[in-house]
Amino acid sequence: MAHIPDGVVTIPVLAAGAAITVGGLAWGLRALSPERMPRVAVLSAVFFVASLIHLPAGPASVHLILNGLMGAVLGAAAYPAIVVALLLQAVLFGFGGLAVLGVNAADMGVPAVLAGLAFRALWRRDAPRRTAVLGALCGGGAVVLTSLMLAGALALSGREFLPAAQVVLLTALPVVAVEAAFTAAALGLIARVKPELLEQES
Amino acid sequence: MKRIFLTTTLLLLAATPAWAHKLKVFAAAEGAQIVGTAYFAGGGKAQNSAGRLLTADGSVVAEFHTDGDGAFRLGVISRQDYRISIDSGDGHVAEAHVAAAELPESLPATGSPAPAPTATVPVAQPTPAIDAVELAVARQLLPLRQQIDALEERTRFSDIMGGIGTIFGACGLYAWIASRRNRKP
Repeated sequence: MAHIPDGVVTIPVLAAGAAITVGGLAWGLRALSPERMPRVAVLSAVFFVASLIHLPAGPASVHLILNGLMGAVLGAAAYPAIVVALLLQAVLFGFGGLAVLGVNAADMGVPAVLAGLAFRALWRRDAPRRTAVLGALCGGGAVVLTSLMLAGALALSGREFLPAAQVVLLTALPVVAVEAAFTAAALGLIARVKPELLEQES
Repeated sequence: MKRIFLTTTLLLLAATPAWAHKLKVFAAAEGAQIVGTAYFAGGGKAQNSAGRLLTADGSVVAEFHTDGDGAFRLGVISRQDYRISIDSGDGHVAEAHVAAAELPESLPATGSPAPAPTATVPVAQPTPAIDAVELAVARQLLPLRQQIDALEERTRFSDIMGGIGTIFGACGLYAWIASRRNRKP
């Protein structure tokens, strides 16, 4: 899921996706300081690889997205990281179309940035359990939001919203569970061993 | 917590070689039928997905659903280029082509329902025997073609490393430019 190929969505949706992505890129790049660049590159690479590892889940096959984790660690800088990784996936693997890059980036980037904002607002340095719960919410919530945006993009392109949303959400359910657990574990670990990674950028 | 993280990481790393999540359709002619499967590259089959059989100019000939194995089998009544388009409903679509040349010559061609009356010397007429040979050869070749089709979609390790390298290269470039800017004040 989440990688729409070319020729599925209509031109207004393409234009809207592209506009959101230009905005997200501008904001994300402004939030990006040279000191944080290696971090962005590492998470971009993780995102790039995570989408390639395919997990069998009932009738469909799914993969992790990890946009909640990226948002929590990178904040707005998650958006350019996602765009770069998506571009490479499209070019190297034909994974999602090039023309719909903006829509795909918006589907995954907007939830990432929102998860980042929520995480920054609610995170406390000395509360490891709270970090884990927040991580689970960010990880799971970002995937749910991505699925809804994907279903919305399909609906605006002339499909029925409810059936599309149902299919997308059903196939996403295992991803939501795995991402919630993974993000909670990852952020919990980071909060204990290297909390400054999660500190608000001053 | 640390252990969960490590276990998850190990599980992720141990998951079978990287595979892309992308819908693919394989279709080929077998006699006067088009057979094929819809599958996710490297992953499961696209079960009960809606499919359409189209002519080259895009008009719909038939609509169908794939079975529990993602397979389909469609009879055709005319010899022309076909397109098979599959939609798994969650934003994945894929298309395959079957060329007219793959279908038996005994089928009537479209566009010219009756052969032009000015046709002079008729070429060797297709016979049932030739059709049978073509069908047998097509059956033998089918698994091979399917294998080649699947092989094309395999995610290669070198591609993955190339992608990671590009990301880090871009990061290095950015760091280089940033450091020059700082030094210049």
